[in-house]
Amino acid sequence: MASNILRKLSGSLIGVGLSGSRVSQTFNIAPTVLSRRLSSEAQTEAETRPTIRKHDEVARAHVTDFGRYVAECLPKFVQKVQLTGTDELEVLVAPEGIVPVLSFLKDHHNAQFTNLADIAGVDVPSRKYRFEVVYNLLSLRYNTRIRVKTYTDELTPIDSVNDVHKAANWYEREIWDMFGVFFADHPDLRRILTDYGFEGHPFRKDFPLSGYVEVRYDDAKKRVVVEPLELAQEFRRFELNSPWEQFPNFRDTSVIEEAAPAPEKK
Amino acid sequence: MATGRAAQVVTRQVRPILSVSHNEARSRALALYKAWYRQIPHIVNEIDIPKSTKQCREKLREEFAKHKDVKDVRVIDMLIIKGQMELKETVQKWKQVGHVMNYWKETVNKKPTDFLSKFLEGKD
Repeated sequence: MASNILRKLSGSLIGVGLSGSRVSQTFNIAPTVLSRRLSSEAQTEAETRPTIRKHDEVARAHVTDFGRYVAECLPKFVQKVQLTGTDELEVLVAPEGIVPVLSFLKDHHNAQFTNLADIAGVDVPSRKYRFEVVYNLLSLRYNTRIRVKTYTDELTPIDSVNDVHKAANWYEREIWDMFGVFFADHPDLRRILTDYGFEGHPFRKDFPLSGYVEVRYDDAKKRVVVEPLELAQEFRRFELNSPWEQFPNFRDTSVIEEAAPAPEKK
Repeated sequence: MATGRAAQVVTRQVRPILSVSHNEARSRALALYKAWYRQIPHIVNEIDIPKSTKQCREKLREEFAKHKDVKDVRVIDMLIIKGQMELKETVQKWKQVGHVMNYWKETVNKKPTDFLSKFLEGKD
Protein backbone atom coordinates (compact mmCIF):
# COMPACT_ATOMS: atom_id res chain seq x y z
CA MET A 1 0.00 0.00 0.00
CA ALA A 2 2.61 2.47 1.11
CA SER A 3 4.89 1.52 -1.71
CA ASN A 4 2.11 2.18 -4.18
CA ILE A 5 1.71 5.69 -2.90
CA LEU A 6 5.43 6.11 -3.00
CA ARG A 7 5.51 4.92 -6.56
CA LYS A 8 2.92 7.42 -7.66
CA LEU A 9 4.68 10.15 -5.78
CA SER A 10 8.13 9.50 -7.13
CA GLY A 11 6.79 8.84 -10.59
CA SER A 12 5.13 12.23 -10.63
CA LEU A 13 8.26 13.83 -9.24
CA ILE A 14 10.58 12.53 -11.89
CA GLY A 15 7.90 12.62 -14.49
CA VAL A 16 9.50 10.43 -17.11
CA GLY A 17 8.17 7.27 -18.56
CA LEU A 18 9.90 4.92 -16.17
CA SER A 19 7.87 2.18 -14.65
CA GLY A 20 6.92 2.77 -11.05
CA SER A 21 8.64 0.02 -9.13
CA ARG A 22 12.04 0.81 -10.53
CA VAL A 23 11.72 4.42 -9.53
CA SER A 24 10.83 3.45 -6.01
CA GLN A 25 13.95 1.32 -5.85
CA THR A 26 16.20 4.15 -6.76
CA PHE A 27 14.65 6.49 -4.26
CA ASN A 28 16.83 8.00 -1.58
CA ILE A 29 20.23 6.92 -2.85
CA ALA A 30 23.40 8.80 -3.57
CA PRO A 31 23.14 10.80 -6.80
CA THR A 32 26.00 9.05 -8.61
CA VAL A 33 24.48 5.66 -8.02
CA LEU A 34 21.11 7.03 -9.00
CA SER A 35 22.34 8.43 -12.27
CA ARG A 36 24.18 5.25 -13.13
CA ARG A 37 21.14 3.21 -12.38
CA LEU A 38 18.85 5.50 -14.31
CA SER A 39 21.13 5.31 -17.29
CA SER A 40 21.04 1.54 -17.13
CA GLU A 41 17.28 1.69 -16.89
CA ALA A 42 17.05 3.99 -19.83
CA GLN A 43 18.87 1.25 -21.67
CA THR A 44 16.52 -1.51 -20.54
CA GLU A 45 13.41 0.60 -20.53
CA ALA A 46 12.32 0.27 -24.12
CA GLU A 47 12.83 -3.47 -24.27
CA THR A 48 10.82 -4.63 -27.22
CA ARG A 49 13.18 -7.20 -28.68
CA PRO A 50 11.44 -10.55 -28.45
CA THR A 51 14.54 -12.62 -27.68
CA ILE A 52 15.54 -10.66 -24.60
CA ARG A 53 14.12 -11.56 -21.26
CA LYS A 54 11.66 -9.02 -19.96
CA HIS A 55 11.48 -8.02 -16.33
CA ASP A 56 8.50 -9.29 -14.43
CA GLU A 57 7.61 -6.12 -12.59
CA VAL A 58 5.40 -7.80 -10.02
CA ALA A 59 8.00 -10.37 -9.03
CA ARG A 60 10.60 -7.66 -9.03
CA ALA A 61 8.60 -5.53 -6.64
CA HIS A 62 8.08 -8.51 -4.34
CA VAL A 63 11.76 -9.32 -4.31
CA THR A 64 12.71 -5.73 -3.70
CA ASP A 65 10.32 -5.41 -0.80
CA PHE A 66 11.57 -8.63 0.71
CA GLY A 67 15.18 -7.49 0.36
CA ARG A 68 14.34 -4.28 2.16
CA TYR A 69 12.59 -6.20 4.87
CA VAL A 70 15.61 -8.42 5.43
CA ALA A 71 17.88 -5.38 5.56
CA GLU A 72 15.60 -3.73 8.12
CA CYS A 73 15.33 -6.84 10.28
CA LEU A 74 19.06 -7.52 10.39
CA PRO A 75 20.72 -4.12 10.21
CA LYS A 76 23.74 -5.35 12.16
CA PHE A 77 24.77 -7.96 9.60
CA VAL A 78 23.31 -7.03 6.23
CA GLN A 79 25.66 -4.67 4.45
CA LYS A 80 23.93 -4.43 1.11
CA VAL A 81 20.96 -5.85 -0.73
CA GLN A 82 21.06 -5.93 -4.48
CA LEU A 83 19.19 -7.19 -7.50
CA THR A 84 21.03 -8.76 -10.39
CA GLY A 85 20.15 -8.06 -13.98
CA THR A 86 17.92 -11.10 -14.01
CA ASP A 87 15.96 -10.03 -10.91
CA GLU A 88 17.67 -12.30 -8.41
CA LEU A 89 17.95 -11.05 -4.87
CA GLU A 90 21.41 -10.95 -3.32
CA VAL A 91 22.03 -10.21 0.34
CA LEU A 92 25.59 -9.23 1.21
CA VAL A 93 26.33 -9.90 4.86
CA ALA A 94 29.26 -9.55 7.23
CA PRO A 95 31.07 -12.86 7.87
CA GLU A 96 30.22 -12.93 11.59
CA GLY A 97 26.53 -12.72 10.73
CA ILE A 98 26.19 -15.62 8.36
CA VAL A 99 24.62 -17.99 10.89
CA PRO A 100 22.03 -15.47 12.19
CA VAL A 101 21.12 -14.41 8.66
CA LEU A 102 20.69 -17.96 7.39
CA SER A 103 18.69 -19.01 10.43
CA PHE A 104 16.51 -15.92 10.04
CA LEU A 105 15.89 -16.77 6.40
CA LYS A 106 15.16 -20.36 7.31
CA ASP A 107 12.89 -19.82 10.28
CA HIS A 108 11.03 -16.65 9.37
CA HIS A 109 7.46 -17.42 8.41
CA ASN A 110 7.50 -15.18 5.36
CA ALA A 111 10.82 -16.48 4.09
CA GLN A 112 11.12 -20.22 4.79
CA PHE A 113 14.35 -20.66 2.85
CA THR A 114 14.70 -24.16 4.23
CA ASN A 115 16.66 -25.59 1.33
CA LEU A 116 20.37 -24.89 0.91
CA ALA A 117 20.89 -25.53 -2.79
CA ASP A 118 24.60 -24.84 -2.94
CA ILE A 119 27.56 -23.07 -1.42
CA ALA A 120 29.98 -21.57 -3.89
CA GLY A 121 33.29 -19.81 -3.52
CA VAL A 122 34.77 -16.94 -5.50
CA ASP A 123 38.40 -15.91 -5.41
CA VAL A 124 39.36 -12.33 -6.26
CA PRO A 125 43.02 -11.98 -5.21
CA SER A 126 43.12 -8.20 -5.54
CA ARG A 127 40.63 -7.66 -2.73
CA LYS A 128 41.50 -7.29 0.91
CA TYR A 129 39.19 -10.20 1.71
CA ARG A 130 39.86 -12.27 -1.35
CA PHE A 131 37.29 -15.03 -0.96
CA GLU A 132 33.59 -14.65 -1.43
CA VAL A 133 31.38 -17.42 -0.11
CA VAL A 134 27.98 -17.60 -1.77
CA TYR A 135 25.03 -19.43 -0.24
CA ASN A 136 22.18 -20.24 -2.63
CA LEU A 137 18.91 -20.79 -0.82
CA LEU A 138 15.57 -22.02 -2.04
CA SER A 139 12.20 -21.46 -0.43
CA LEU A 140 9.88 -24.24 -1.50
CA ARG A 141 6.95 -22.59 0.24
CA TYR A 142 7.18 -19.37 -1.77
CA ASN A 143 9.00 -20.76 -4.81
CA THR A 144 11.79 -18.20 -4.62
CA ARG A 145 15.50 -18.24 -4.43
CA ILE A 146 17.89 -15.94 -2.63
CA ARG A 147 21.63 -15.61 -2.64
CA VAL A 148 23.55 -14.72 0.50
CA LYS A 149 27.12 -13.60 0.06
CA THR A 150 29.86 -13.12 2.58
CA TYR A 151 33.61 -12.69 2.43
CA THR A 152 36.80 -13.86 4.10
CA ASP A 153 40.52 -14.20 3.51
CA GLU A 154 42.91 -17.16 3.68
CA LEU A 155 43.30 -17.15 7.44
CA THR A 156 39.99 -15.88 8.78
CA PRO A 157 37.57 -18.64 9.73
CA ILE A 158 33.87 -18.44 8.88
CA ASP A 159 31.25 -19.97 11.14
CA SER A 160 29.94 -23.23 9.81
CA VAL A 161 26.22 -23.20 9.01
CA ASN A 162 25.99 -26.93 9.50
CA ASP A 163 23.77 -26.40 12.54
CA VAL A 164 21.26 -24.48 10.42
CA HIS A 165 21.40 -26.49 7.21
CA LYS A 166 22.66 -30.05 7.35
CA ALA A 167 23.39 -29.84 3.64
CA ALA A 168 26.22 -27.44 4.38
CA ASN A 169 28.43 -30.26 5.64
CA TRP A 170 29.81 -31.44 2.31
CA TYR A 171 29.54 -28.06 0.62
CA GLU A 172 31.75 -26.54 3.27
CA ARG A 173 34.19 -29.40 2.97
CA GLU A 174 34.33 -28.66 -0.73
CA ILE A 175 35.04 -24.97 -0.13
CA TRP A 176 37.71 -25.91 2.40
CA ASP A 177 39.29 -28.32 -0.05
CA MET A 178 39.14 -26.07 -3.13
CA PHE A 179 39.78 -22.65 -1.60
CA GLY A 180 41.26 -23.29 1.82
CA VAL A 181 38.61 -21.32 3.68
CA PHE A 182 38.41 -22.67 7.22
CA PHE A 183 34.96 -23.20 8.72
CA ALA A 184 34.89 -22.95 12.48
CA ASP A 185 32.84 -25.55 14.38
CA HIS A 186 32.40 -27.78 11.37
CA PRO A 187 31.89 -31.35 12.63
CA ASP A 188 33.96 -33.13 10.00
CA LEU A 189 36.20 -30.76 8.06
CA ARG A 190 38.46 -32.81 5.81
CA ARG A 191 39.26 -33.13 2.14
CA ILE A 192 36.51 -34.24 -0.19
CA LEU A 193 37.72 -33.92 -3.79
CA THR A 194 41.51 -33.90 -3.81
CA ASP A 195 43.72 -36.93 -3.33
CA TYR A 196 45.29 -37.76 0.02
CA GLY A 197 48.53 -35.90 0.40
CA PHE A 198 47.56 -33.29 -2.18
CA GLU A 199 49.01 -29.89 -1.37
CA GLY A 200 47.39 -26.59 -2.20
CA HIS A 201 43.90 -25.44 -3.03
CA PRO A 202 43.11 -25.82 -6.74
CA PHE A 203 40.40 -23.18 -7.13
CA ARG A 204 42.58 -20.35 -5.92
CA LYS A 205 43.56 -18.00 -8.70
CA ASP A 206 47.23 -18.33 -7.82
CA PHE A 207 47.10 -22.08 -8.29
CA PRO A 208 48.43 -22.82 -11.79
CA LEU A 209 46.13 -24.47 -14.30
CA SER A 210 48.61 -27.33 -14.78
CA GLY A 211 49.11 -27.85 -11.05
CA TYR A 212 52.45 -28.34 -9.35
CA VAL A 213 52.82 -32.12 -9.55
CA GLU A 214 52.12 -34.93 -11.93
CA VAL A 215 51.20 -38.48 -11.00
CA ARG A 216 52.32 -41.61 -12.83
CA TYR A 217 52.69 -45.33 -12.23
CA ASP A 218 56.29 -46.32 -11.65
CA ASP A 219 57.12 -49.82 -12.86
CA ALA A 220 60.23 -50.20 -10.75
CA LYS A 221 58.59 -49.03 -7.54
CA LYS A 222 55.32 -50.84 -8.32
CA ARG A 223 53.27 -47.91 -7.10
CA VAL A 224 51.97 -44.53 -8.13
CA VAL A 225 54.52 -41.77 -7.67
CA VAL A 226 54.11 -38.03 -7.53
CA GLU A 227 56.68 -35.83 -9.21
CA PRO A 228 57.08 -32.12 -9.82
CA LEU A 229 55.48 -31.13 -13.08
CA GLU A 230 57.79 -30.68 -16.04
CA LEU A 231 56.16 -29.21 -19.10
CA ALA A 232 57.62 -30.38 -22.39
CA GLN A 233 57.12 -26.96 -23.90
CA GLU A 234 56.89 -23.43 -22.67
CA PHE A 235 53.53 -22.47 -21.24
CA ARG A 236 51.54 -20.64 -23.87
CA ARG A 237 49.00 -18.01 -23.20
CA PHE A 238 45.98 -18.54 -25.37
CA GLU A 239 43.85 -15.51 -26.01
CA LEU A 240 40.37 -16.93 -26.22
CA ASN A 241 38.55 -13.67 -26.75
CA SER A 242 37.74 -13.29 -30.37
CA PRO A 243 39.00 -10.06 -31.91
CA TRP A 244 35.56 -9.65 -33.43
CA GLU A 245 32.65 -8.60 -31.36
CA GLN A 246 30.11 -11.30 -31.96
CA PHE A 247 27.09 -10.25 -29.93
CA PRO A 248 27.42 -6.57 -29.11
CA ASN A 249 23.81 -6.42 -28.01
CA PHE A 250 24.49 -8.84 -25.20
CA ARG A 251 27.75 -7.37 -24.04
CA ASP A 252 26.76 -5.82 -20.72
CA THR A 253 24.05 -8.01 -19.33
CA SER A 254 25.06 -8.24 -15.70
CA VAL A 255 23.56 -5.02 -14.46
CA ILE A 256 23.40 -5.15 -10.70
CA GLU A 257 20.97 -2.92 -8.93
CA GLU A 258 20.80 -2.09 -5.31
CA ALA A 259 17.54 -2.56 -3.50
CA ALA A 260 18.17 0.23 -1.08
CA PRO A 261 16.86 0.29 2.46
CA ALA A 262 13.42 1.83 2.47
CA PRO A 263 13.20 5.57 2.94
CA GLU A 264 12.38 6.58 6.48
CA LYS A 265 9.84 9.23 5.51
CA LYS A 266 6.84 8.11 3.59
CA MET B 1 56.04 6.14 9.38
CA ALA B 2 57.47 2.67 9.12
CA THR B 3 57.19 2.07 12.86
CA GLY B 4 53.64 3.37 12.84
CA ARG B 5 52.72 0.94 10.11
CA ALA B 6 54.47 -1.90 11.95
CA ALA B 7 52.52 -1.06 15.09
CA GLN B 8 49.33 -1.06 13.08
CA VAL B 9 50.11 -4.51 11.77
CA VAL B 10 50.80 -5.78 15.25
CA THR B 11 47.61 -4.41 16.72
CA ARG B 12 45.31 -5.55 13.92
CA GLN B 13 42.37 -7.41 15.38
CA VAL B 14 41.83 -10.78 13.74
CA ARG B 15 39.68 -13.72 14.51
CA PRO B 16 41.79 -16.62 15.81
CA ILE B 17 41.53 -20.02 14.17
CA LEU B 18 42.45 -22.21 17.15
CA SER B 19 45.09 -20.54 19.28
CA VAL B 20 44.98 -17.09 20.80
CA SER B 21 48.64 -16.87 21.71
CA HIS B 22 51.95 -18.00 20.35
CA ASN B 23 52.49 -20.29 23.34
CA GLU B 24 49.21 -22.04 22.70
CA ALA B 25 50.10 -22.56 19.05
CA ARG B 26 53.48 -23.90 20.12
CA SER B 27 51.95 -26.43 22.48
CA ARG B 28 49.52 -27.50 19.76
CA ALA B 29 52.40 -28.04 17.35
CA LEU B 30 54.26 -30.08 19.96
CA ALA B 31 51.15 -32.13 20.65
CA LEU B 32 50.77 -32.87 16.96
CA TYR B 33 54.44 -33.85 16.75
CA LYS B 34 54.02 -36.20 19.69
CA ALA B 35 50.89 -37.72 18.21
CA TRP B 36 52.69 -38.45 14.95
CA TYR B 37 55.74 -39.73 16.86
CA ARG B 38 53.66 -42.18 18.85
CA GLN B 39 51.64 -43.34 15.86
CA ILE B 40 54.65 -44.03 13.64
CA PRO B 41 55.37 -47.56 15.01
CA HIS B 42 51.73 -48.50 14.39
CA ILE B 43 51.80 -46.95 10.92
CA VAL B 44 54.94 -48.89 10.03
CA ASN B 45 53.29 -52.01 11.39
CA GLU B 46 49.98 -51.52 9.61
CA ILE B 47 51.00 -50.18 6.22
CA ASP B 48 53.39 -52.16 4.06
CA ILE B 49 56.12 -49.58 3.47
CA PRO B 50 59.83 -50.35 3.11
CA LYS B 51 60.77 -47.94 5.87
CA SER B 52 61.74 -48.41 9.49
CA THR B 53 60.37 -46.52 12.46
CA LYS B 54 63.60 -44.57 12.71
CA GLN B 55 63.49 -43.43 9.09
CA CYS B 56 59.88 -42.37 9.50
CA ARG B 57 60.71 -40.34 12.57
CA GLU B 58 63.55 -38.62 10.72
CA LYS B 59 61.09 -37.77 7.97
CA LEU B 60 58.63 -36.49 10.55
CA ARG B 61 61.23 -34.19 12.02
CA GLU B 62 62.17 -32.99 8.56
CA GLU B 63 58.56 -32.19 7.69
CA PHE B 64 58.12 -30.17 10.87
CA ALA B 65 61.46 -28.41 10.41
CA LYS B 66 60.30 -27.19 6.98
CA HIS B 67 58.00 -24.75 8.76
CA LYS B 68 60.28 -23.79 11.62
CA ASP B 69 60.37 -20.14 10.57
CA VAL B 70 56.62 -19.63 10.54
CA LYS B 71 55.76 -17.01 13.13
CA ASP B 72 52.14 -16.08 12.42
CA VAL B 73 49.88 -17.84 14.91
CA ARG B 74 47.10 -18.32 12.41
CA VAL B 75 49.44 -19.78 9.80
CA ILE B 76 50.74 -22.19 12.42
CA ASP B 77 47.16 -23.13 13.27
CA MET B 78 46.36 -23.77 9.62
CA LEU B 79 49.43 -26.00 9.29
CA ILE B 80 48.43 -27.86 12.45
CA ILE B 81 44.94 -28.45 11.10
CA LYS B 82 46.36 -29.83 7.87
CA GLY B 83 48.91 -31.95 9.75
CA GLN B 84 46.15 -33.35 11.91
CA MET B 85 44.15 -34.15 8.78
CA GLU B 86 47.12 -36.01 7.28
CA LEU B 87 47.65 -37.95 10.50
CA LYS B 88 44.06 -39.08 10.53
CA GLU B 89 44.22 -40.08 6.88
CA THR B 90 47.33 -42.14 7.58
CA VAL B 91 46.13 -43.78 10.76
CA GLN B 92 42.71 -44.66 9.33
CA LYS B 93 44.51 -46.20 6.33
CA TRP B 94 42.67 -43.99 3.88
CA LYS B 95 46.10 -43.37 2.46
CA GLN B 96 47.58 -46.19 0.46
CA VAL B 97 51.23 -47.20 0.26
CA GLY B 98 51.92 -44.73 -2.54
CA HIS B 99 50.43 -41.83 -0.62
CA VAL B 100 52.55 -42.55 2.42
CA MET B 101 55.71 -43.17 0.39
CA ASN B 102 55.25 -39.83 -1.36
CA TYR B 103 56.71 -38.12 1.70
CA TRP B 104 60.13 -39.42 0.61
CA LYS B 105 59.94 -38.35 -3.06
CA GLU B 106 62.35 -41.10 -4.07
CA THR B 107 61.79 -40.85 -7.81
CA VAL B 108 62.34 -37.13 -8.03
CA ASN B 109 65.67 -36.34 -9.66
CA LYS B 110 67.64 -33.57 -8.05
CA LYS B 111 68.19 -30.55 -10.26
CA PRO B 112 71.81 -30.19 -11.42
CA THR B 113 73.66 -27.43 -9.63
CA ASP B 114 77.27 -27.42 -10.83
CA PHE B 115 78.50 -26.79 -14.34
CA LEU B 116 79.52 -30.31 -15.29
CA SER B 117 76.30 -32.00 -14.22
CA LYS B 118 74.27 -29.31 -15.99
CA PHE B 119 76.34 -29.96 -19.11
CA LEU B 120 75.78 -33.69 -18.86
CA GLU B 121 72.08 -33.11 -18.31
CA GLY B 122 71.97 -31.15 -21.56
CA LYS B 123 70.70 -27.98 -19.97
CA ASP B 124 72.41 -24.66 -19.65
